[in-house]
Amino acid sequence: MQQLSYFELMGFGPNGWGPALLRATAMTLAVALCGFIAGALIGTLVAWAKLSRSLVARGIADGYTTILRGVPDLLVIYLFYFGGSAALGAVAGLFGYDGFIGVPAFVVGSLAIGVVSGAYQAEVFRGAYQTLSRGELEAAKSVGMHRWLMFRRIIAPQVLRYAIPGLGNVWQLVLKESALISVTGLVELLRQSQVGAGSTRRPFDFFITAAVLYLVITWISTVLFQKAEDRSMRGVRRAA
Amino acid sequence: MTTMRAFGLGVLASVLAVGCAAAQGKKWETVRIATEGAYAPWNFTTPSGKLDGFEVELANDLCGRMKVKCEVVAQDWDGIIPSLNAGKYDAIMAGMNITEKRLEVLNFSQPYAATPHGFAVMKDSPLANLPGTGTAISIDKDPEAAKKAIEAWKPLLKGKTVGVQVSTVNATFVEKYLKDTVEIREYKTTEQHDLDLVAGRLDAIFAGQGALTATIDKPEFKNVTLAGTGVRGDVLGRGVAVGLRKADTELKTLFDQAISAAVADGTVKKLSEKWFKIDAAPQS
Repeated sequence: MQQLSYFELMGFGPNGWGPALLRATAMTLAVALCGFIAGALIGTLVAWAKLSRSLVARGIADGYTTILRGVPDLLVIYLFYFGGSAALGAVAGLFGYDGFIGVPAFVVGSLAIGVVSGAYQAEVFRGAYQTLSRGELEAAKSVGMHRWLMFRRIIAPQVLRYAIPGLGNVWQLVLKESALISVTGLVELLRQSQVGAGSTRRPFDFFITAAVLYLVITWISTVLFQKAEDRSMRGVRRAA
Repeated sequence: MTTMRAFGLGVLASVLAVGCAAAQGKKWETVRIATEGAYAPWNFTTPSGKLDGFEVELANDLCGRMKVKCEVVAQDWDGIIPSLNAGKYDAIMAGMNITEKRLEVLNFSQPYAATPHGFAVMKDSPLANLPGTGTAISIDKDPEAAKKAIEAWKPLLKGKTVGVQVSTVNATFVEKYLKDTVEIREYKTTEQHDLDLVAGRLDAIFAGQGALTATIDKPEFKNVTLAGTGVRGDVLGRGVAVGLRKADTELKTLFDQAISAAVADGTVKKLSEKWFKIDAAPQS
């Protein structure tokens, strides 16, 4: 067996894994982004519930963030993946269909990341909301703003401003969590490098390449989040 | 309320009845077979994403014999058994050994491969002369000959250090037969003991010959060679087989017949010699 050089192995030639790894990187980004966005929606609703005056809503939201931040992410993924198929299969069974109904791995992955990151994002949003000055909210009410208008003009922009550093943190968690989705067989970056490593018996080459690709994504996101933070903070004087 | 409950039970019962009837009368037209796609040369993926290897070729051969359409899919090892039981596919061919633990949750066909287990040593080591290199022997079938072969190793092996992967059949074997002769060192992965053999910290390693041959194929390990008789049977287990759901008994029958035929006409031998460079066909 002739030995390929590292660059032939990772390149774009006939024996190169370059295209496969790039596709997998795109898949990692896609599943992480969808999960993050789903998490932002869930997080907003949960933060709202946590800040509400209703004891029931607060209790449910507290339970949600406690459980989802407390159980291993892998367990949530298994629950969605196998539980989801079993539940759908049971429902379909009532209508006389006895085959297997697969939940697409991408949807399961995004949802699982969404519910977990939603719990973290809820805490980020809640913390950011509490930095708002009461006076501004009262002022908004006194000029007759409706709740939705107040949310759009006063609350959302300011909450986002203070949430950005926290969200950046959650994004990096999400990115790494996306590697766990490989257990569902979704060909994202980690799964693709495991496959490549096992198929060629060159584990170092593949895992180091995957590590570099993850680092590149992280590095670019750090820069973007920094830019977003700078932009949101223009006009705000900070303690030197 | 009572009528509702009775009605509910009735529906449930009829669903169950229909479900069972469907399961029993099921005609297999398409069989979905899962493999890991990352365990060369058993099964692996080419850069273009195609699955290939010993098990992929064998699966296609078996499906031809069973007269069913086959779909070989890749599945991560970690989720491979739960996904079978969830119904994502119907069979597993992924270098999976029959073990008692696995028999608790799934069924196995008869084995389609049983690579002998044996030693690998450095080419310039005195252990390269271990008797029996290139032959294989089954402890179950010929216990006397196996005992003699093992005794024949002992003078050379006395006091040497042997590496095995922890909690594998290999570790159990060395522990059972060579405990008083050699010093056993356990490793977490096979790569680790491969590297320590080359580094000179070990005199020999004991593992499945399929895995050993794959290692020797790599340029870094070109000075490593197989040595001594290959052994199978007893604690070394019953071999590698198709994993199936417990409920699918007809499918097990189909696979058993196809495997018997493929072993009998030499297909398994031919394929294993192509991929492993040794005969890995199960010996009765």
